[in-house]
Amino acid sequence: MNPLDWWLLLAILLFSIGAFGVLARRNVIVVVMSLEVMLNAVNIALVAIANFRGGARGAGTLFALFVIVLAAAEVTVGLAIVIANYRNRRTVQTDTYDKLKG
Amino acid sequence: MPGGDFHPWFFVIVAAWVLVCGLGVVLFKKVMYSAVSMVFCFLGVAFAYALLNAPLVAIIQILVYVGAISIVIIFAIMLTEVQTGGLELFFNRQTLAAAVAALAGAAVLAVVAVSADIGPVGDKSLTPGLKVLSRLIFDRYVFPFELVSLVLVAAMIGAIVLAHREEERP
Repeated sequence: MNPLDWWLLLAILLFSIGAFGVLARRNVIVVVMSLEVMLNAVNIALVAIANFRGGARGAGTLFALFVIVLAAAEVTVGLAIVIANYRNRRTVQTDTYDKLKG
Repeated sequence: MPGGDFHPWFFVIVAAWVLVCGLGVVLFKKVMYSAVSMVFCFLGVAFAYALLNAPLVAIIQILVYVGAISIVIIFAIMLTEVQTGGLELFFNRQTLAAAVAALAGAAVLAVVAVSADIGPVGDKSLTPGLKVLSRLIFDRYVFPFELVSLVLVAAMIGAIVLAHREEERP
């Protein structure tokens, strides 16, 4: 295994940890945090591949920067939705969000 | 050394740090502990970028993630803190299925990543320097750059509209 494989393994493990958090936690803010961890894992993979393989003249590193900015936008809107929902329902537990259930 | 400098011990330290803090985010029972663990996880990821010869990404990571996003998340936690009664069920009912799915996904991805022929790893680091990156941003990728700023403005306005409380008029 070359160094790139080790970095990719780190990214995969971190991604799985975040995915488990998204699927299993009840608190919706922890779900958002786990989502951020998943995005970071993807960024590690992007930067690692850009470092070891190059290609597209450094677009991988640039793409990681774009992902960071878009993650910032995503977390603002997501937490605004969480707060608006909390104001109406007084809860942040995901399994109580069942208004649309038939 | 392939890919610039690959220091095995630095990699082991950073990997252990990031993974332990990531597990802390998922497993801590109190939300605030999870948030602090997440801040340290982001810091470890910044060190990972620094090890990967991408100091610009590391600095942006510290500025945006460790600074801004963590503050926003901690604010949201403080605004929604209820803590009335027990939080005894902090995982939902599909925890076992989630664990199996996450482990299976990790195994599949790891097998694919290791067995795939990504190609030879060069002798020197291929991360572009600051000059090349800035030229890329403002020359070749200037349209996505402006589009991202538009997305940011839209997200800010959307967040304000969503979280804004209507005042009761007398």
